[in-house]
Formats: sequence, structure tokens, C-alpha cells
Amino acid sequence: MRILKTTFINIKSNKQLFFASVGTITIALSILGLFLFVYVNLNSVLSFWNEQVQLIVYLDDEISNSEKRRLEKLFSSNPEIVSFDFVSREKAWDKFQSMFSEKSSFLKGMGFNPLPASYNLKIKPSPERLNTIQTLARKLNRQTSVESVEYGEEWISRFETFMILMRVFLFALGALLCLGSVLIISNTVKLSVLSRKNEIELMLLTGATPGFIRFPFYLEGIFHGVLGAVVSLSLMKGIHLYLVSRFQGSIETFGRGMDFQFISLPFIMIILLASILMGWLGSYLSLQQFLGTYKKL
Amino acid sequence: MIQLYNVYKSYNNTPALVDVSFIIKKGAFVFVTGPSGAGKSTLLKLLYRWERYDRGQVLVNGINVGKLKFNKLWQLRRHIGVIFQDYKLLPGKTILENVAFALEIVGAEKKIIRYKAWEALKDVGLSHRKDAYPLELSGGEQQRVAIARALVNNPKILLADEPTGNLDPEMASEILHLFEKANQEGTTVVFATHSQNILREGDHAVITLKRGKVADTRIVA
Ligand SMILES: Nc1ncnc2c1ncn2[C@@H]1O[C@H](COP(=O)(O)OP(=O)(O)O)[C@@H](O)[C@H]1O
Ligand SMILES: [Mg+2]
Repeated sequence: MRILKTTFINIKSNKQLFFASVGTITIALSILGLFLFVYVNLNSVLSFWNEQVQLIVYLDDEISNSEKRRLEKLFSSNPEIVSFDFVSREKAWDKFQSMFSEKSSFLKGMGFNPLPASYNLKIKPSPERLNTIQTLARKLNRQTSVESVEYGEEWISRFETFMILMRVFLFALGALLCLGSVLIISNTVKLSVLSRKNEIELMLLTGATPGFIRFPFYLEGIFHGVLGAVVSLSLMKGIHLYLVSRFQGSIETFGRGMDFQFISLPFIMIILLASILMGWLGSYLSLQQFLGTYKKL
Repeated sequence: MIQLYNVYKSYNNTPALVDVSFIIKKGAFVFVTGPSGAGKSTLLKLLYRWERYDRGQVLVNGINVGKLKFNKLWQLRRHIGVIFQDYKLLPGKTILENVAFALEIVGAEKKIIRYKAWEALKDVGLSHRKDAYPLELSGGEQQRVAIARALVNNPKILLADEPTGNLDPEMASEILHLFEKANQEGTTVVFATHSQNILREGDHAVITLKRGKVADTRIVA
């Protein structure tokens, strides 16, 4: 009780500093949250595409059944190909039409089907998948009755590299922002410590244990950290709710990639824990420095 | 209770105490005197380990002060009450709260804190002003609050560094009597002063320092 009171008085006597400190931590954590949001969403997009990785073999319109059987035999004898699927011209056309349902009357009016038949090949996932797909694509392109071969793997591979860079960037940014937050808390607590120098000296003189002296300041630092975390988490949740309400109608198309799953219980726990740790560390550093001067005497 | 053996202490290679040795027995009342700069304050600071010493031995209440770690200093200091020329009261607290603070620091039971603080104030004759703030009191009254605060934890040793330095002679002898009262109740008192009047008024043992050396001792009980 006494300790809570002391902590509160500490904060009250340094109001501006307190808000500056909590504000900075809020901003730091929010920036981190924003980047995490982008990262998680790109990542989920990536993994969605990754599952979809396939080679599409477009066929000549006049392909014969024996040609088809020959190609299918070729596919099933290749260990890299997990499965394949034939999409006839009619099926492709139906699918195309259903994707643009509102314009289907216009499409029906076209009176002919411009789409080729195709085989969709699922490729065994492996680290060398890109090479496999490239050689396979070249080989299949040479086959008779094959019009063209298409794959998005190269693009995905670039995207993967980008994600690795993004991860490094996120980590560096996170470390930097955490360090900044720790230093800001440490600075705020230091001023609070200095403003209570007489009281602390008296405590030292009277025989207070180091823990007794330190505890209120730890609490103060942790309070700063946690408050910053709570404000920034509320901010993120607020933005989430806004986006959901704003884009309710189009959430199916727009929101497909939008994933707020990262504001989950474990995420909140991690942020809170990190903010507690940062608050404690900030206070610890400034106390260590301050009490160190008495140690040397 | 207090034992020094060949203690040497310097500040930046300038000696402040040189080969100081003496023994102060339990329950004694000892003046430490000498001109300004002789090393009185430094000597007291060694006793509650506010300063370190370079050589020699210091034993206080059975504790080897030189070997005590920073985190364990409270074990020494809880048995020592210290009083200063400038009182060191917290201006934002009432005098009752100032005294109570010393009890809170050592983790006294909440229920008894108020009562004990009030009793300590009564012993120095200030219980009727318990809700006053330090700066509303005279210098002598403030020093009495400081004494109440130092005594409230029943220390075995009371160290006073020029406690009457800022006070007129009447106040000074009043303060001296408070120390003598505490001494009669069993507290060992070490009282640093350069005032000859105070020395004459109290008939106690005297350690005289000159330029950091013990120049004279008059029967240390
Ligand atoms: N913190 C300090 N740093 C450097 N020199 C000091 C310090 N404290 C005291 N001294 C020096 O040590 C000597 C003894 O000082 P002090 O113990 O305060 O004497 P007294 O209390 O008898 O007046 C003086 O020469 C003083 O200048
Ligand atoms: Mg002095």
C-alpha cells in the first residue's frame, strides 16, 4: 500500500515526463504492431500461395485423347508431381463465368469459349522446388500438343526472400524500439529517483534494505511500460474494429488477406510481458547508476 | 561497542584520518572534538559506513565494518541512529510522518507505527505539534524531531555530527540533555562538536582530533 502510494506520488510529481514516457512507449509498440500486422498478413498470403503452387500446362485446342493419355502417363511417372487435374475447356469457361457473375450475360453473349483446356500439376514441396519446376516446365513445353506452361514460383521465391528481409528488419526495428523504450523509462525513473534523493539517503541511513528502496521505482517503471502496452494494444484493437466496420461489405474481397489474428491472447501476453521487462530493466539501470554512487563512498 | 584500530582514511591522497585507534564501551557517552577539518565528520561516517577507510579495522556492534557488503549495510545501520547539523527532515511530511518514516523503513508493524512515532515525539516534548511541517518549527524543535526519529527504532548507538551547530546555547544544552537522557536509557552516544561550551557542560569522555590524528583522550569509559 505504502509502495503503491509512493509510486503514484512519484508519477504525479513528474506528470509531463510520465506522459512523454508512456506516449513514447505507446508509439514504439504501435509501430512494432503495425509492422507485425503487415508481416503476419503477407506471411499468410505467402503460405496460401505456397499451397497453391502449381504448374499449369495449357493444351492445344485440338488435342486427341491418346495425346492426353500420353501426357497423363508422363505426369504420373514423374516423382516430383504429387497429383494432377484435368480442366476441360468447358470447366475453365464455367469457372471464369462464375468469377464474373454480374457480367455473365455479356459473357454468354459472346457465343464462343476462348479458354484452353489445361492440366494443373501439384508439385512436391521441397527446398529445390523452384529448380524442379523450371526443368519440368522446359521439358513439358517441348511436348507436342502443349501450348504453353505457366508457373508463379519464381515470383513466390522472390517474395520469400523479401519476407526473410522483412523478418530481419522487424527484428532489428523491434530491438531498436525496445532499447529506446528502456532508455526512456530509465531516464524518467532517473529523474524521479533524483527528485527523491533526500528520501533515499535517509532510507539508506536508517537501514532500509536495497529491495525496499528499489521496489517503488521498479513499480513505477513497470507501470510506464504496461500502460504504454495497454494503450497501444487498445489502439490496434480500435483500428481493427474500425476496419471491420468500415469494410464490412467488401470484407470478403478486401478482408481476405487481412488477418488480425495476431492480436491474440499469446500476442497480448507477450507484449505485456515485454513491457514489464522493459519497465523493470529501465528502472534497474537508473537505480544501479544512482545507488552505485553510494556504493563507491 | 565501537573499536577502531590504526584506521587510516584519505580523500584523493589527502589524509583525513591517520592511525586512529580507540575503544568506546557499551553505554558510554563520548565527545569527539577538534577544530574544523580535523576529521570528526569523517570519523562518524566510517562508523555507519557512509565512507570507506583505506587501512585498519573498524568494529561496530560486533560487525567488521570494512568487510560489510553494500547490500548488507542495513544490518549495521539499523542499530545506529544518526543526527546531523542540518536535521535532514523531509519537508513534505508532517513531523509525525517524518518519525513514522523511520519505522516504515525498517518494516515495523503498521498498527504500532503511529503510536510509537507519537511516543517518540512526546519524549522530545513535541507531541502537541505532531501535524506541523518541519519548516514551521524552530531549529531547536527540528533537531528534536530528528532526535525522535533517530531514537524511535531503539538504536544501540547514537551518532551526532555537530547537532547543536546551528542552535543558540540554550537550545544546544536542551539538545545535549536529550542525548544524555537517551544515554541513561542505555544508548551508546558519540557526539561530535567543536563547541567548548558543550564540552564543558557535559561531563563526558572526550576524544580530540587534530589534523586527522587522535591528539588527546580523556578517560574513555
Ligand atoms: N567528501 C570529501 N572529499 C574530499 N575531502 C573531504 C571530504 N570530506 C572531508 N574532506 C576533508 O577531510 C578532512 C576532514 O574533514 P571532516 O571530517 O569534515 O572534518 P570536521 O568534521 O572535523 O570538520 C578535511 O580536510 C576535509 O577537507
Ligand atoms: Mg564536520
